[in-house]
Amino acid sequence: MEMRARLRQVPLDLSAAWAIARKDMIIYYLRPNIIVSGILFPLFMFLAFAIGTIGGSAPPTGGTSEIAQLGALIPGLLAITVLFSASSIEPVSIPIERRMKTFDRLISAPISLQALVLGESISGTLYSVGIALIPLVIGVLFFGNQILSPVVLLLALFLSSLCFSSMGTLVASYPTENVGEVMSILNLIRFPLIFLSGVFIPLSSLPGWGQAVAFFSPLTYTSDLIRFGYNGASHISPILDILVLAAFIIGFQAFGNYLYRKFNE
Amino acid sequence: MPVPAIEVQSLSKRYGQIQALDSVSFSVPEGETFGYLGPNGAGKTTTIRILTGITLPTGGTARIFGHDIIRETIESRRHMGIVHETSNVYDDLTAWQNLIFTAELYHVERAGRDEWAKELLETFDLFARKDDLAHGFSKGMKRRLTLAMGLINHPRLLFMDEPTSGLDVQSNLIIRRVIRELAGEGVTVFLTTHNIEEANLTCDRVAIIDHGKIAAIDSPERLKKTIQSVQSVEVGFDRQVPEIKDGLMNIPTVNEVRKEGDKIRFFTEDPSAVLPAIIAYAEREHLRVLSLTTCGPSLEDVFIRLTGLDTENDRRPLWK
Ligand SMILES: Nc1ncnc2c1ncn2[C@@H]1O[C@H](COP(=O)(O)OP(=O)(O)O)[C@@H](O)[C@H]1O
Ligand SMILES: [Mg+2]
Repeated sequence: MEMRARLRQVPLDLSAAWAIARKDMIIYYLRPNIIVSGILFPLFMFLAFAIGTIGGSAPPTGGTSEIAQLGALIPGLLAITVLFSASSIEPVSIPIERRMKTFDRLISAPISLQALVLGESISGTLYSVGIALIPLVIGVLFFGNQILSPVVLLLALFLSSLCFSSMGTLVASYPTENVGEVMSILNLIRFPLIFLSGVFIPLSSLPGWGQAVAFFSPLTYTSDLIRFGYNGASHISPILDILVLAAFIIGFQAFGNYLYRKFNE
Repeated sequence: MPVPAIEVQSLSKRYGQIQALDSVSFSVPEGETFGYLGPNGAGKTTTIRILTGITLPTGGTARIFGHDIIRETIESRRHMGIVHETSNVYDDLTAWQNLIFTAELYHVERAGRDEWAKELLETFDLFARKDDLAHGFSKGMKRRLTLAMGLINHPRLLFMDEPTSGLDVQSNLIIRRVIRELAGEGVTVFLTTHNIEEANLTCDRVAIIDHGKIAAIDSPERLKKTIQSVQSVEVGFDRQVPEIKDGLMNIPTVNEVRKEGDKIRFFTEDPSAVLPAIIAYAEREHLRVLSLTTCGPSLEDVFIRLTGLDTENDRRPLWK
């Protein structure tokens, strides 16, 4: 396509991407399997860690109450909530649409493949930001969380959500009509990330190889940026976090675009 | 010469060992209703998927209104409506939401959009159900909604993959009527079917495809002429003709004369040449002609001959 045609197509693609995202919101946000994987799963994960923390033998330091201990877990909860909820829409919706053949509609519309990949990712992103606000608000209201930099925190939620929904869309390019197959691949990626990204287990207590892997995990930067939003403390650097997350987003989008084209031949 | 709506040259598609399409070429001028007739597995859907840019061919080229479908995919699709083989509506959206979502996907201007959506729903007898989820729709209703969605962007070219296959009579009638109306409005229609009667009724020209190859392309009438010896003229006289006399036997181009009930049937390659001879015979014998019917070969005869279905009919399932 020549440059002018490409430019003319941009607003058309954006509006189509938004239409696709809205369609996903209406159809998929309330599906039971999406609620389980996007909401209940991070919640149970959190409870497991919470019980482990409170029931742990560590002596209470300086009168730290159980409430405050739980509150300290909320940033980690946010990170895994974003990871799971953002990547829970497309891996369900796309195989279903392949089975129902509605996917043929999307890939035969007068839009670029990039518009499709982006539109699918947007629905996961908004879902995830919405879900993540629940623990965030609960933390502030009931667990005494203080947020030093709300703007950075919201940016962290948004960028990370877009990053993980792009990852979900990428994995859903795997050409199958079976939701379970996509979910297996996705979980193969998601579960290790929880333990290798400094979410609940600090990076410093990971073995050397674990720290090396964490370096390649987008969740590491999510977790770091969220912590910075809460208390201004960061292991890495908020600027670097943002840049790396942006790079992951672009990478996932571009690779997704490539794979959808490839698997369609 | 005006740019054809569809121009296909040596199109091929291989799936592993299967040659789904084997160097197919044809051209469809704008405004034509073009039928693509073939048994299951002939390559009909493959052709549509290539022409709509969903699947890449392994050889050849296809142009839609002059735009190369591979290099100018989006441009080619702008004036295209597609009715896929499966009625792929969103079960969890209402009829109205399905239409509007498609309109947004095709960048239909907001001005006039809702009116057009309403008109389409009325045309397809779905307006009363416009706010119901498609989930509860019957097969025929889903098919009609799929057609309405295919027309929401006022396409100049409509692809339809087996539009009426396995549908109820009412849905069939509505869909056939719409196809005729589209033809009247100058919309180019490319429809696939394994139903010979449908091709005969609705198409200006028909391509007969089998095993990924085109066996013939022509108007239904001319295709029938390709096997002329099967044509016949059936005459009923006011009196019984006791025996078939020489006067009847010797009409040029008549291959065979047969008495069938109270009528006489003349098998011929050229019915128009036989008619005057019959009239002359009747006058000579003081007979009155009560009925006169020319029976062409059916498109089915052509189809069977070109695809050789009668001789190899247990090789694979022919009809759905
Ligand atoms: N995705 C695919 N992978 C492998 N073979 C395919 C695929 N799609 C179609 N075919 C094969 O190509 C041939 C033509 O199929 P198709 O175009 O669907 O036929 P029709 O629509 O005329 O019934 C069939 O033999 C079919 O099995
Ligand atoms: Mg087919």
